[in-house]
Amino acid sequence: SNSYSQVTKFSLELENKTIREIISEIEEQSEFIFFYQKQQIDLDRKVSVHVKNEKIESILDKLFAGTNNIYFINNRQIVIGVSKEEKVRVPSVSVIEDAVQQKKEISGKVTDRNGLPLPGVTIIVKGSTQGTITNAEGKYTLSDVAEGDVLQFSFMGMETQEVNVSGKTNINLVMYESTIGIEEVIAIGYGTQKKSDITGSVSSVKGDELTQMPMQRVDQALQGRASGVLVLNTAGAPGAQTTIRVRGMNSINGGNNALVVIDGLQGGNLNSINPNDIESLEILKDASATAIYGSMGANGVILVTTKRGKKGKPTINYSYSYGSQSIRSKLDIMGAADYARTRNAFRATQNGSGTPVPIFTEQQIQELERTGGTDWQDEIYRIAPIQNHQLSMGGGTENMRYMVSGGYLDQQGILLNSEYERFTLRANFSADITEKVSFELNWGGSKEFGSSPPYGGGTALSFLGQAVNIAPRWDPTTPPYDANGNYNSHPVGYGAYDTWNPLAATVEPDIQNHTIRNNVNTYIEYEIIDGLKLKISGGAAISNVNDKSYYNSKTWEGKPVGGVVGYGTLTEQVNSHYQNSNILSYDKTFNSTHKLTAIAVAEQQYDKYQGSGLVASKFTVDQTGINDLGGADEISSKYSSVSERVINSYLGRVNYAYADKYMLTASYRADGSSVFGKNNKWGYFPSASLAWRVSKEPFVQNLNLFTNLKFRGSWGITGNQAISPYETIARMESGSDYPYNGGSSTNLGFRIASAANPNLKWESTTQLNVGLDASIFKGRLSTTVDIYKKKTEDLLLNRTLPRYTGLRSVIDNVGSVENKGVELSITGDPFVGAFRWNTGFNISWNRNKVLDLGENETLRFRTTYGGYSLKNGFMQLRVGEPFGQMYGYGTEGTWKESEATQAAKFGQLPGDIKYTDTNADGKINTEDIKIIGNSMPNFIFGWTNSLSYKNFDMTILIQGSKGNDIFNQGRIRLERGSEGTSARLLDRWTPENQNTDVPAFIDEKTRMDAALVSTINLGSGDSERLQRWVEDGSYVRLKNIVLAYNIPAGLTQKIGLGSAKLYISATNLITLTDYSGYDPEVSAYNRNDAQIGVDLSNYPTAKTFTFGIDVSF
Amino acid sequence: CKNLDEQPFSFVSPETFSSSAAQVEASYAASLNHLWDYWSGYGYGYNPFRHDDQFVGGNLNIGADNGDGLWNVHYASIQSINGAIAAIKAGRVKGEDQETIDRLLAQGMFLRAHNYFMLVRMFGGVPLITDESPDPISNPMPRSSVSDVYSLIVSDLTFAASKLPLSWPDAPGKPTQGAAKGILAKVYLTMATFPLNETSNYQKAEQMAREVMESGKYWLVTDVVDVFKPENEYGPEMMWGYNSTSDDKTTDPQIWAPSVYGDGGWGDAAIDTTFEKSWPAQARKDAYLMTEWNGTHYSDFPEQTPFCKKFFFYISLDDFNGYASTANWPIIRYADVLLIYAEAANMANGGPTQQAVDAVNQVIDRANGYVENPLHPKMTTSMSQTEFDEAVIQERSWELVFENGDRWFDICRKRILDEVTTRPDYLANFSEDDYLFPIPEVDLELNELLEQNPGYSE
Repeated sequence: SNSYSQVTKFSLELENKTIREIISEIEEQSEFIFFYQKQQIDLDRKVSVHVKNEKIESILDKLFAGTNNIYFINNRQIVIGVSKEEKVRVPSVSVIEDAVQQKKEISGKVTDRNGLPLPGVTIIVKGSTQGTITNAEGKYTLSDVAEGDVLQFSFMGMETQEVNVSGKTNINLVMYESTIGIEEVIAIGYGTQKKSDITGSVSSVKGDELTQMPMQRVDQALQGRASGVLVLNTAGAPGAQTTIRVRGMNSINGGNNALVVIDGLQGGNLNSINPNDIESLEILKDASATAIYGSMGANGVILVTTKRGKKGKPTINYSYSYGSQSIRSKLDIMGAADYARTRNAFRATQNGSGTPVPIFTEQQIQELERTGGTDWQDEIYRIAPIQNHQLSMGGGTENMRYMVSGGYLDQQGILLNSEYERFTLRANFSADITEKVSFELNWGGSKEFGSSPPYGGGTALSFLGQAVNIAPRWDPTTPPYDANGNYNSHPVGYGAYDTWNPLAATVEPDIQNHTIRNNVNTYIEYEIIDGLKLKISGGAAISNVNDKSYYNSKTWEGKPVGGVVGYGTLTEQVNSHYQNSNILSYDKTFNSTHKLTAIAVAEQQYDKYQGSGLVASKFTVDQTGINDLGGADEISSKYSSVSERVINSYLGRVNYAYADKYMLTASYRADGSSVFGKNNKWGYFPSASLAWRVSKEPFVQNLNLFTNLKFRGSWGITGNQAISPYETIARMESGSDYPYNGGSSTNLGFRIASAANPNLKWESTTQLNVGLDASIFKGRLSTTVDIYKKKTEDLLLNRTLPRYTGLRSVIDNVGSVENKGVELSITGDPFVGAFRWNTGFNISWNRNKVLDLGENETLRFRTTYGGYSLKNGFMQLRVGEPFGQMYGYGTEGTWKESEATQAAKFGQLPGDIKYTDTNADGKINTEDIKIIGNSMPNFIFGWTNSLSYKNFDMTILIQGSKGNDIFNQGRIRLERGSEGTSARLLDRWTPENQNTDVPAFIDEKTRMDAALVSTINLGSGDSERLQRWVEDGSYVRLKNIVLAYNIPAGLTQKIGLGSAKLYISATNLITLTDYSGYDPEVSAYNRNDAQIGVDLSNYPTAKTFTFGIDVSF
Repeated sequence: CKNLDEQPFSFVSPETFSSSAAQVEASYAASLNHLWDYWSGYGYGYNPFRHDDQFVGGNLNIGADNGDGLWNVHYASIQSINGAIAAIKAGRVKGEDQETIDRLLAQGMFLRAHNYFMLVRMFGGVPLITDESPDPISNPMPRSSVSDVYSLIVSDLTFAASKLPLSWPDAPGKPTQGAAKGILAKVYLTMATFPLNETSNYQKAEQMAREVMESGKYWLVTDVVDVFKPENEYGPEMMWGYNSTSDDKTTDPQIWAPSVYGDGGWGDAAIDTTFEKSWPAQARKDAYLMTEWNGTHYSDFPEQTPFCKKFFFYISLDDFNGYASTANWPIIRYADVLLIYAEAANMANGGPTQQAVDAVNQVIDRANGYVENPLHPKMTTSMSQTEFDEAVIQERSWELVFENGDRWFDICRKRILDEVTTRPDYLANFSEDDYLFPIPEVDLELNELLEQNPGYSE
């Protein structure tokens, strides 16, 4: 695209000047350079030009009206030629005929590396104004070339090449893509800006970078690609959400999700977008960039721009991929025979009143040794296919452009009975109605279907029926089915008997989540006067969620009780977002040195949520289940809820650049939101930033080193208003029912659910950022460095109340949090040409600190759910400490026999766990609780590589995290002596194996005989807050590797294709980590970010191999 | 532009609630829901009391969080009740006659007294929040004295006893005059012992218990195995408690059961074997304790302990296996009243009166299946005051085993913690401070007017 020519406007008042003079005036005022052959153009023809703020095309149209000259604009280069057909004013590629032959004539063909012809390549004789462009077949002829001349071939988006003509009359050339230059135009919110003019911190990822790798979702695509962006795959389930954090976490309750803006519509959902439809993704990071989104900008902003049609004949792309997914790693579980021996060994310890009978006989153990028993992980996981179809069509005429695309994704999950299916359809249409009025309509829709047995902490009704958790814990000596083909129950009397058959828990639940999303936005833009435009846009994003689940009689939830069966849920939700933005923009360059862009916006947004749901049980007919609610004897819970949110906003921004050297951006936004207290409805969010492009200064240009060198600095305030509507109002809530009257009736109960807070207001984040962009070696090596400091104040916190108030907490503005960090990215092209290697490395360090928590010194977060002896306060926020601190009892392995005397002081025997006596008082109690880990990484990094040679391309993405701890909660039960299945139990303490952290099986009699008095009191329900379960979650992962083969053009053209590419790829192929759970990329069940880093038995990550094909016509 | 004022659709504010009898009762339902709901409140509330001599694993390492869950639910309950009482007193309930208004108020006072009676026995003097207190969120309160808390309890229950009906024909689960008097008798008895030791209250306890006995509304279920059967949930012996139905289930009954029972109990709350061994063989022991199951003695259970049948054995096996208890949780029952009477009469009159002996012997007689049991003979007037008193306390331990912390409260009000067990580790950790649970740390942290009980770190 001719981006420079599209953004550059001229005002010329030239009376009776020669073409030569006008050309030099344009060259003076702009960065355009003209190329022509003297004999083809009448340079002395005199014309008058009167234009105001017009694009170069319209000036050239006027200039050459009535001549047979044609022109072609390639970014900054304007080539003037002669039309063969004597047709005038056709601003498109055409053949330029050489009229005269002097010296010698050079001809040839220019192709891309796939062998496809490249029309419109500019070829000039270096050091002259003589040149031409290639025709539709990529062919060119250039006459009047002297021996020894050098031809310069250039084309937008390609590396410029120079060829000496000596001894040649035919020069065929292959051109290679260049890296994205600083002249690229990127989205900045309510407008676009040249990258070189940007004063803030913005990361940009282009759509074609994303689609190099097969991926299902946009959020995954961001992982490892942009500095400062942390993407956590919280579960491996198909269709599962990821958590994206831009520059750390500011808020505890306000939510830390970045604002997603899709084609200008705020509050979008990345899941609704087909990655193939993306033209570019921009991540706004510093306050200068995000403050334009005011109260929604504090967590960063992700701008999604979808593809538009381009003028020209239709292009059709089709791609297909098929992949195979398998579990990346299994937990290390004992085999059946080892398990039986371990259970016997534990049973033998229960000799308090007699000698216990072993559970398994030696004969049974031998039999188990032979058969191997049941591997429950193998029972519930599978190799699962994934396939993806994409079809898109785009094109346009002079005044209209269109792009239509459709996608179908079907991903079976590696856990049986899990699936995600998505249909997407998008239609983007734009038109220039008149010279002054343009119009655009974008519609995107998706239909998603997801299904999975419960996993993780938050979704299961009970951990008893949670397959991912219970499968590794189940008795490997029991087969899945009994002799009659019914699911076996867990044997009673040993092991994890309070659990359900994992296979039944996996395959029997029928869970269906349906989401239909409709996003539409449209605008009409009118150029009022030169440079002044009014854009009125309206949009709506509406999603309908329709979920149901049914747990039949073979599940824990739905097992027969009193002759009736089943448990089911129905949920309906409609979320609507409406937005109207009215943008007045002014864009003008004065004296070709003062560039001014200004916008003023009035905007309103309205959100409405409506939801209802019910839980039903006691069905008479299992087959119909939740599909026949009339057949349910009990509706055990029911709810409906409606809420609204209104935001009214006024904002403005000014961008000013002087001589492309000094840039200034200032913005101001006022947001009024309904969700805040009546005393604080309005918030104000200013920002300012400066940049200095030192590389435009003569003293740097003289160094001849920097292609670009820019210093940036910014300051601004952004807000976070992600609290729910009505939080400022005290509420009386239904749902606390109790059979107050006795007998069989239930009486409705209404409780006081929250206290009022009319002063509640925005969280505000003040951010300072300094940055540097530099590139050398003609842009082949570039780096961007940013240093930032953010302080979030008026933190929305559930201020804990003394419980004698009857309430747990009230939401309030208390406290403050600081994030500071450094982001570095380096991109380079070590090799260009036939063998091409483009590489990019980014690394981000973020440090977070709680500065103030209001009246609290500590905020405790319950982390877990039933059955793990973890009650309150495992995760705590404390003033002066970062997020993600884990508090618990230190453990230092086990007591050795040589330490028996010290152990006895605590009432412990050799082989017992050695707890850290933090305060050295000889007792282990709550006073010994200390920090045992932190879930925040020291740094995260990503390394992208893209290599190509001849017809082969290779893309490699390596990504990782360093220094974050994970509390591996699953191990608590897996390694519990009384029931555990973990292979670690085989490493338990024995007199022969004293150097282990797995405690011994000490029998009751020995303990009684020792007559020790234990001084260990870990508190009821907190006995498993142990350092033992904290593991290093650092990892380095070969996230993705793709090998592609571009079928040679000759071959594709024979079968009627434009181009075709075949590829194979692998995802999560290699992971280097010490973490022993399913995957180090966990977090899960984050009711808020202070709790990230607890592994609650989430859906394991898959390793995926994919084959794919892309073709275009 | 749309207006920024908020108009909620799906809830109302507490200021406008409790404007009808149905809404007041909805507040009371919520107040009890806090105390007795699936996995909350007393649904798993036995744990703080496991320091007595009945629970397996009892010890005197009383943790800093011991009882905090119960503190939380009691105060949440009190908040709901205070809101309703304030609304009634402010005349917000319209269109009802004075008797109905009085009964609504009496129910609220009954429920509030119950909450404070539980709190004061667990924690000592606590912040005394009533319908007249300023908003406790912005007005931090110190702990009241134990006797101030009892004053409120006595006045609330006295009002309740005067206004509540003898029975609710269509609502057997609501508090009655008899329940108010029964609990008031227990309140007086407790006030007569530690920590207040106001012995003049023995006579009031005797009087109150006698009024219940003479009301003719209550009697012992004839056969001791029928006491906890569902058909006897609302009388004649059960006087008031927390209600459960198949739609409002409470905690998992597995907590109370051995792993050999049904599809498998969890054995969390098991009976101490010493306690079991000291319990003489009798019909009651078989009815209340599971010392064997399907012919297997408890020593061969994986847990190797007996269990208390009261809260799992009498519900259907389906409900048991469904992890849902439909059993009620008795707070006051007639056997308790008889024992209160016996204890109070003995102490008020310088020794066991005939009526006192008759009252306790009703309980013993039924416990023995109405046969003479040399292992557990009936009591006589010839016993000394102390002998009789100790025997009644012992009788309470057996009859009321595992009921609502009763044994723990008896131990505390009689100050016999160091006498009820001989286990060395138990005694090694004993101190007089153990008679009170710690004030929850959160409340201490947020309100510096609160002082911690001795023996616990601030």
